[in-house]
Amino acid sequence: MLDTIWFVLFFGFLMGAVYLLIALGFSLITGVLRIFHLGYAYLFPLTIYGTWFFMSELGLPLIPSIVGMVVVQLIVSYLLYTFMVKRYMDDEMTLLTGLLIVALIVEQFAAWRYPIQEGVYLETTLMDGIFQLGLAVAPKQLVLASIIALVMTALFALFFIKTKTGLAVRALSQDILNSQFVGLNVEKLYILTMMLILIPVIVAMLLIAPIWTVEPAMGWQYMTTAILIAVLGGLGNIKGTIIAAFLIGIDHALMCFVVGEPRFMNLSALALVMVILIVRPQGIARSESIW
Amino acid sequence: MVDVEIKRDRIVIRWREKKWDWMIEPRYWRNTMYWTLALILFPVFAYFLSPGLVNTMVSANIYAAIAIPLSLMTVGTGRINFGPNFYIGVGGYVAALLSIHLGMSPWLTLPLAVLMSAFCALVFSPLVIMAKGLYYVLLTLLLPLLFLEVTFIWTGIFKGDVGLFGIELLFDLGGAKLNFIAAAYVSAAIMLLFLLIANKVLKSRYGLIMAAINDDEEVAHGIGVNINLVKILTFIGASAMIGVMGWFMAHYFGTFSGITYLPLTYMLKILLVFMVGGRAQIFGCVAGGYFVAFLEEFLIRVMGDFQPVAFPIILLILLFVLPRGEGLFGLYRRRHYREYMPQIHVRR
Repeated sequence: MLDTIWFVLFFGFLMGAVYLLIALGFSLITGVLRIFHLGYAYLFPLTIYGTWFFMSELGLPLIPSIVGMVVVQLIVSYLLYTFMVKRYMDDEMTLLTGLLIVALIVEQFAAWRYPIQEGVYLETTLMDGIFQLGLAVAPKQLVLASIIALVMTALFALFFIKTKTGLAVRALSQDILNSQFVGLNVEKLYILTMMLILIPVIVAMLLIAPIWTVEPAMGWQYMTTAILIAVLGGLGNIKGTIIAAFLIGIDHALMCFVVGEPRFMNLSALALVMVILIVRPQGIARSESIW
Repeated sequence: MVDVEIKRDRIVIRWREKKWDWMIEPRYWRNTMYWTLALILFPVFAYFLSPGLVNTMVSANIYAAIAIPLSLMTVGTGRINFGPNFYIGVGGYVAALLSIHLGMSPWLTLPLAVLMSAFCALVFSPLVIMAKGLYYVLLTLLLPLLFLEVTFIWTGIFKGDVGLFGIELLFDLGGAKLNFIAAAYVSAAIMLLFLLIANKVLKSRYGLIMAAINDDEEVAHGIGVNINLVKILTFIGASAMIGVMGWFMAHYFGTFSGITYLPLTYMLKILLVFMVGGRAQIFGCVAGGYFVAFLEEFLIRVMGDFQPVAFPIILLILLFVLPRGEGLFGLYRRRHYREYMPQIHVRR
C-alpha cells in the first residue's frame, strides 16, 4: 500500500513537472493575449525536426543546430504574430482555424521530409542511467527534466513578480485598455509573450526527446495536455497551471499504478477536467490575472 | 377543408388557421434548378471521363452535408462547435456495430444512429448553456478526442486503431462503378435534403429567433425568447443530422475507424469547408465542400506525396485572401444579394 502511494507521488511529480513545462507557454499566451493558441502544437515538432534539419541537412553539431532552431522558432513566432494574431485578433474563428492550419502544415512537412522510418533522434541526454528512490526507478534524464521544470517555473514566476516587464505583462493580462492608458506598449509585450512561450516548450522537448517518443504528430497530443492543464488551472493563471499540471500528473500515475491501466491516462484526465469544470467553471484559480 | 390557391408567383395552401406558401416564380428557382441539374448530370459525365471523380463528388457531398448542420448549429447556439466529428463518430459506430454484430440492414441502423446521436447531443447540450467563448470551443474540441481515447481503450469493441470492417454496404449493384454512382446520388440527395431543411428553418420564424440569439443572447432573452430551449433544440437537431453522415460513411465504405474521423485533422477539414465556403452560410457550405474535395483530389494527382503539405498551405492562403468571414459564397452574394442571412458572432 505504502509502496503504491510512493509510486503515485514519485511518478506524479515527475510527469506533472514535465507537463508543467509543456503547458506553461499555452497558459501564458491564453492569459496575456486572451486567445487559444491552437497553433501551439507546431512548436513541438519544430523544436525536434528543426534541430534535426540543421544537423542532417547542414551537417552542424548539436549545439549550433539548437541555436539555429531557436532562431527559426523566433522568426516563425514573430511572423505568426504579425501576419495572423495581430490582424485577426478580433476575428477569433479565422484566427483559431489559421493557427490550427499552421500546426498541420508543420506536422505534415515534418512527416513528408522526415518520415518515421528516418529515425530522427537527438542526442540531448544530459544524464545517463537510472535513478532509484526506494522502490521507484526512473531515467535520470526524466528526474533532471523535472528539476529543470521546477526551476524554470520559479524563474518565470520571479520574472512576473519581481521585474517591471513582468508587472507590465501582468497588467496587460488584467486589462488591455487600462494598460494602454498608463502607457504600456501592448504590441511589444504581445511579441515578448509570443517569444517567452517558446522557452519552456523548447527546453521540455530537448530534455524529453531521448526518453519519450518523437514523431511528427506528437504536437497534437502535447497540445491536448496543455489545453487540459490550462483549463483545469483557470485559463491563463500560472498558479492554477502549476497545481493543474501536478494534478494531471498524479491522475496519470494513479491510472498506471492503482488502476493498472495506462491506457486510461488521457481519458481520466479529460474526465477530471470535465468534472472540475462542472463544479468550478472558472477552473482551479481565478483567471483575471496570470499570477 | 384544404384550400389551394394558385397565385402569379406562389401556391398558397390553407388548412384551418394554418397557411403555407410555396414560391413558384422561376427567378426564385432558376439557380437551384441549374445547380441540382449539374449535380444530377455530373456523376454520369464523370463515369465516362474519370470514375475517380465520382468518388470525389461523394466526398464533397459528405463535407457539405456535415458543414450545413454545423452552420445551423452555429447560428442557433451562437457558438462555434469545434468537434462536430464527435457525432460522425457516434453515428458511424452505432451503424457499424449494429450492422456487424446484429446483422442489421442500413435502413434499420439509420434511425438508431440518428437517435443515438440525438441522445448524445442531449447529454452534452448543457454545454451550450453553461460554456461560452473559449471554454465552449475547448470543450467541444476535446469531445471527439475523448471518444477517440475510448475507441483505443475498448479496442475489442471499437477497433480504434484498425477500424471496424464487414459493415453491410449501402448498395450492391454488382459493380464498383455502379455503386459509386448510386452513392453519389444518395449523398447528393442527403446533402440537398439538409440544405432544404436548413434553408427552411433559417427562413422561418424559428430561424429569426436563432438569428436573434446569434446576434445577442441577452437581448433575445429580454424580448421573451426561450433561448435555452432554442439553443438545445438546435444543438440536438444539427447533431443528429451530422450523425446521419457518420451512418452514411460507415455503410458507404463498409469500414469505420475512429482514427480517420475523430482526430483534429478531420475536424480541421470540416472547419475549412465551413470557413472557405462562407461561415454559417448554408449555401457556402456546398461551395466549400466541393472546393475542398476537388482541390484535395487535384493536388493528389498533381503533387503526389507532397499533397498533404500543399493542401493546408493553399487553404491557409485562401482563408486570409477571401473576404473576411464571407468566403466563396460571400463573393457571389456581393453581386446577388437577396435576403438577410444570419452571420455568426464569436463571444469571448
